[in-house]
Amino acid sequence: MKAETRQGWLFVAPWVIGFVLLTAGPMIYSLYLSFTASTLLSPPQWIGLENYRRLAADPLFYRSLGNTAYYAVLGVPLGLLLALGLALLLNAPVRGIGFFRTLFFLPSVTNAVALSLLWLWLLNPEFGLLNSALRACGVAGPLWLQSEAWAKPALILMSLWTAGGQAVIFLAALQGVPRELIEAAAIDGAGVVRRFFAVTLPMISPALLFNLIMGLVGALQVFTQAFVMTGGVQPGSEGGPNQSTLFIVLYVYKKAFQEFEMGYASALAWALFVLIVGCTALAWRVSRDRVHYEGGAA
Amino acid sequence: MKSLRLIALAFFVAGCGPKTGGDRTVIYNCAASTSGIAALQREQEGFFALTGIRVKLNPFSGEEKLYAMMAAGQAPDVFYTNGAVRDRLAAEGRLLDLRPFAEQDPFFQRLRTEVRAAAAAPDGGIYGVGNWTHTCGVYYNRAAFAAAGLAPPTADWTWDDFVAVARKLTRVGQAGDRPGRYGLFIPAHFIECFEQMNHAPIPRDALLLGISPEAREVYAAYLGLIRDGVMPDIRHVQALGMQAAQMLESGRVAMLVEAVPHPGLIETLTINWGVAPLPRFGAKAPRYFRSASGGLSVSATTAHPADAWRTLAWLIGEAAPYQPNPVLTDADFVGGWEAKYPRLRGTGFREVWTLSERHAGGDPRYFVRFASWSMGPVMTRFQPWLDRLWAGDATLDEVVAAVSDINAGVRQDLERQLRSPALRPAWRAALERELAAAK
Amino acid sequence: MSAPAAARLTRIGTLYAVLAALGAMFSVPVVWMLSSSLHELAAVFAQPYRWLPVPLHWENYVRAVTILPVPRFLLNTVIITAPVMLATVVSSALVAYGFARFRFPGRDALFALCLVTMMLPGQVTMIPLYMLFSRLGWVDTYLPLIVPSLFGSPFYIFLLRQFFLTIPRDSEEAALIDGASRLRIWWSIMLPQARPAVATVLIFTFIGTWNDFFGPLLYLNSPEKATLTLGLNLMKTQVLGSGVVEWNVLMAASLLVLAPNVILFFLAQRHFIRGLSMGAGK
Repeated sequence: MKAETRQGWLFVAPWVIGFVLLTAGPMIYSLYLSFTASTLLSPPQWIGLENYRRLAADPLFYRSLGNTAYYAVLGVPLGLLLALGLALLLNAPVRGIGFFRTLFFLPSVTNAVALSLLWLWLLNPEFGLLNSALRACGVAGPLWLQSEAWAKPALILMSLWTAGGQAVIFLAALQGVPRELIEAAAIDGAGVVRRFFAVTLPMISPALLFNLIMGLVGALQVFTQAFVMTGGVQPGSEGGPNQSTLFIVLYVYKKAFQEFEMGYASALAWALFVLIVGCTALAWRVSRDRVHYEGGAA
Repeated sequence: MKSLRLIALAFFVAGCGPKTGGDRTVIYNCAASTSGIAALQREQEGFFALTGIRVKLNPFSGEEKLYAMMAAGQAPDVFYTNGAVRDRLAAEGRLLDLRPFAEQDPFFQRLRTEVRAAAAAPDGGIYGVGNWTHTCGVYYNRAAFAAAGLAPPTADWTWDDFVAVARKLTRVGQAGDRPGRYGLFIPAHFIECFEQMNHAPIPRDALLLGISPEAREVYAAYLGLIRDGVMPDIRHVQALGMQAAQMLESGRVAMLVEAVPHPGLIETLTINWGVAPLPRFGAKAPRYFRSASGGLSVSATTAHPADAWRTLAWLIGEAAPYQPNPVLTDADFVGGWEAKYPRLRGTGFREVWTLSERHAGGDPRYFVRFASWSMGPVMTRFQPWLDRLWAGDATLDEVVAAVSDINAGVRQDLERQLRSPALRPAWRAALERELAAAK
Repeated sequence: MSAPAAARLTRIGTLYAVLAALGAMFSVPVVWMLSSSLHELAAVFAQPYRWLPVPLHWENYVRAVTILPVPRFLLNTVIITAPVMLATVVSSALVAYGFARFRFPGRDALFALCLVTMMLPGQVTMIPLYMLFSRLGWVDTYLPLIVPSLFGSPFYIFLLRQFFLTIPRDSEEAALIDGASRLRIWWSIMLPQARPAVATVLIFTFIGTWNDFFGPLLYLNSPEKATLTLGLNLMKTQVLGSGVVEWNVLMAASLLVLAPNVILFFLAQRHFIRGLSMGAGK
């Protein structure tokens, strides 16, 4: 099939060209830097595996690894469940649904500065909406971002608020579920739950795989929220109380741009890269036989 | 692996192209608001008419952007550097040594001692000129004082007076056992002011962490304020973000320790406020001080070194949006600010500032307690201990006991830095000397 | 009223109640922005917060459009956003089609590589990429912000591939037999069938580009080239000698910048509709 090969390459050519021109160089360069002592401002010096040896013995690397794993393990499934639930809700063909869809999507388009200000205020232990609500239920709310135990859950809570983005992808996928299939299942006597697991879920499984993998990639690279919300006045205070929100990418940032250790930062980034690739490969493998492609496997 | 290094090297070389620029344009990376840009742009017309130097403003700054521009060989001519970053950049040869200009230009002699002291680098060069300086004071709510029948604080008040007043100003009520109004609040990064007042030895540019008995007394007193309920739990206040000033404004606290001058406070406070000097510790002589930690630097790759210096001096010493600047000895700073903000009259602002000028000629150590080399390594290890101290998960004794462990880690980091090939010899020698001397 | 009709009414009533309750939670940020944009500055941080701004300070909006040169920045933002949207959708959809429907040696490895490029934190590739664009002389132009979109974005390539794979092959095969070219099939069969996914990509690229802060910050230098989002950030820059951020005015400006996102989403979400017959209830 020569023609198919040629045509296939032609279709994927834009990405291949972009990869060669724009992506490959910087990636290879950062890989090279991970084997050097570099500040990026002076010519790097080759030091072999030294950065990786140092990383293996760096307690902060393990601390940030643990924090990142915590965030991903809890945040990714919760985010997926919420997004899927929202999508099912927002797929209801009732009047005014477009208005509600827009409401749910609002936090996903709100300016990050405004959002972070709002969260500081919502999570305010004394006057915040959250603790006021908890107090009304007779529960003394935690210190949230200022508490070692609650800072990560607070950031996960924040991320759930922007589940509207993932929900839109599920919503798009739900449009491809043929109505006749659901109706046929209903005639066969399948209840709502059964219809969901037997018909809807398999039909949207490609979108589920997408959201799972992109959720994982995003969670393992979590940075902005932790940087904005748990940064402090003094250097060293980014990363929350007792380094409870020091995620790997935040650590990379600190090393690269605050402590001028671009070489070590690159090694940290590549270690994370290997971890993410591993997790993704695992998710891909596990899901391979469970994802249903109506058009047949690629 | 060889080809990998070649590709990478090619990449690096590709980024280091020569800088062009025939005309006398100086690019200034400045953080500025839209109105600030407009004001500076108007100002620079006059500067151009006088000197023939065009100042091009680049208001989109940020550290990552500066490093990217430097790495690409396109550094702006003049830019802001904070104290910690400046030495690092200078030690890699990225900043122009301004000493030849400073020695000849009377402008440099107009700067306050702490600004000139902060400019001196370990290798004898000058790599940046401070563009701001401040002291600290106690901002207080006059109405709260009057209601409690208290006279405004005077310059000779002591820590004990300070605490006694705070106790009287604390109003219990609302939300169970939490007081409706706390007597005072001292943000954690201002503890150092009180360490200075208690004569704790704080060597400038210390490489390692030290907690002296005097410093320890201050920490114990600070924790006592929280325990006694006259100061809010600092974690609660940190959770509010940067709104310590709002606590004073809204009546949640009656006294607040903050920087003097503090434009944000001056512009936003609508209550009737005053500002008092820091309290003394018993009979110990006061140690008021001023601190200068950041400023403007010039890129080593600038095409017009003399013009860049002239621009720097103009920005700090003349450009109207920045005047009157507290870094200048000959400017009537207090008078100028009272004209700019009439509300300052009678607040005690003049007294606090004048006292800082009278004592020890200013001491630039505050906020630049640690050398730029060890600032990151020290704080990365020390901050978690402080977090645990505020959370009640660690005692003061445990924190003090941890100092030697912290310093062992810092020493390791410093030794690694010493091995860096990027470090210029003069800097390496200075760092080695200091490390050997540090105990 | 018959029993089934009453039951249906109850069901729809419950649905609306749930939508309204959850919708209220999700609209808190914008309601808060709206409220604080109409407050005076001191009230933005008042504790406890007053939701109703009385009196209404509409002048914050006047001030926002006075401080921010809106027409200029708006034009700049559109100049970047429009081509990026178009180029991203077209190039990503072409590449995704290539990955979804052609069998050729190396395809799976290539697709894996495409995904893998998203897994290295941008913090360590940012400076080398800047050096590259700087070498090309593209700094302080819109090129570094627009040109990469011509080559497709791995995120959207992956997304569209997933959707293309769910489309049955029958009509495509029929068209092939009729002698249609692959490009024609892509345009007239794949894209229309993947309409919800294409709408999603359009929404996401618009939001991503319109609200991008870091890209313009890094690559633009001249104030007159700024985008709206960059301009917003200038409003919260604190300068020596005047350290006050007018949060209420900033919120007013943020809402103005946010508005096109909301309008676009509202218009685009209409495409999230099943092509087949629609019942009244679920």
